Amino acid sequence: MAASRTTRIAPLLGAALLTSVLLKSHGAVAQQQDPSLNIQFHGFTDSRSVTVLSPAADLDQDFTDRTSLRMRFGLDAVSAASDSCIRCHPQGANNQRKYVNASVIRKYGDTSLSMGGEFSQESFYQATTGLTSVSRTFNKANTTVAGGYSFSWNRPNLHPSDFNESQIAQNTFVALTQTLTRWTTAQVDYEFSGVTGYQSNPFLRANVDGLLIVGVVPEKRLRRSVTLRVRQALPGNTYLDADYRRYKDDWDLTANTYSLGLSHNFPQWLFSGTFRRHQQTGAYFYAPSYTGSPTYFTADFRLFPFTSNLYTARAVYVPNGQLFGILPTGAGLTFQYEFYDATTGFQAATFSTGFKVPLKRR
Amino acid sequence: MRRLTIALALGLGVVSVAGCATVEPWQRDRLANPAMQFDPDGGFAAFRAHWQEAREGASGGAGLQGGGCGCK
Repeated sequence: MAASRTTRIAPLLGAALLTSVLLKSHGAVAQQQDPSLNIQFHGFTDSRSVTVLSPAADLDQDFTDRTSLRMRFGLDAVSAASDSCIRCHPQGANNQRKYVNASVIRKYGDTSLSMGGEFSQESFYQATTGLTSVSRTFNKANTTVAGGYSFSWNRPNLHPSDFNESQIAQNTFVALTQTLTRWTTAQVDYEFSGVTGYQSNPFLRANVDGLLIVGVVPEKRLRRSVTLRVRQALPGNTYLDADYRRYKDDWDLTANTYSLGLSHNFPQWLFSGTFRRHQQTGAYFYAPSYTGSPTYFTADFRLFPFTSNLYTARAVYVPNGQLFGILPTGAGLTFQYEFYDATTGFQAATFSTGFKVPLKRR
Repeated sequence: MRRLTIALALGLGVVSVAGCATVEPWQRDRLANPAMQFDPDGGFAAFRAHWQEAREGASGGAGLQGGGCGCK
């Protein structure tokens, strides 16, 4: 079955990549950035003793005054892997994820077009994505309208067997960004995505009549979300950011996510603090345990009802002159700490640091 | 779905009505501050989106789901 799906999917994937004219990345419209090199290092640890070390590099470089290239390469090194691995590997099991993405962005007057793709590979999962998006500014750049589409072909491996399953995810979005006043800007974003194919988690087992069995979930899922975001400048070099996201899908999982943050500019420094709260219901087939012969059953904690809080502290340092006496004016350092706490008992902390070096415009 | 549509319509309405005001380029000094950007640092946001997607069923949606046992 996987082979026939692959045969059908390959031409679609190729077509999506070839016809892509725009890029969308994790909900953000790709826009031409100032040319720069960003080197980052992220560290993650959680209450299960899983640690992830993740170096990454971003390059934004323009070829001409209208065309630029954006590339990103990263690695996640996972150690002391999670309880689902410990079941069979008492000494722990390491994993790695490598990913690379690239996009070309071209400007035609007030319109930006981009095309790109991403490839991600880890021990038991592979994802290939083509991304397109377009954005146009109006009204002296006070209004930006954007839209985009992405197509992903994901291949989970049903470890410990060698069998690969297949999953197709398609995502579309439209976004409107509007400058409201000299101190206020807002954005509204609508996303719709459809996922077909294997969507269970081969590493988590549900309790069915006392037996632990890999879950079975529907092979189709339609997801929708609306996000409203506001940025407000306050007196005294202080800034407020507020976001709200409403999510719903046809597995009856609904979620409300709020975030509120404050930033303050000191000479050469920007300090920020953000609080995010996420509340979600469970999927309609979720239950702590199952009896009889349920059509669908799951032990995937992502489909449980829960609430989580995320606290973020961030500092950005951009000296007036050279950084470390070597890097050019405009180079800066970023430090970020996050703490995540969910009612499922899961906790995680991340520390990230990175530096950004501006590159010369052509 | 109806609520989503209403929320979207309200959001678009508010933004559109308020959008009649034009801010000139020389009036945008506060708007240009990095704290006013919606995605000031994509790399940090991408890392957060990846691990959140491994924990929250309502996160993500852009199709780049990770799935190895390390995340589970």
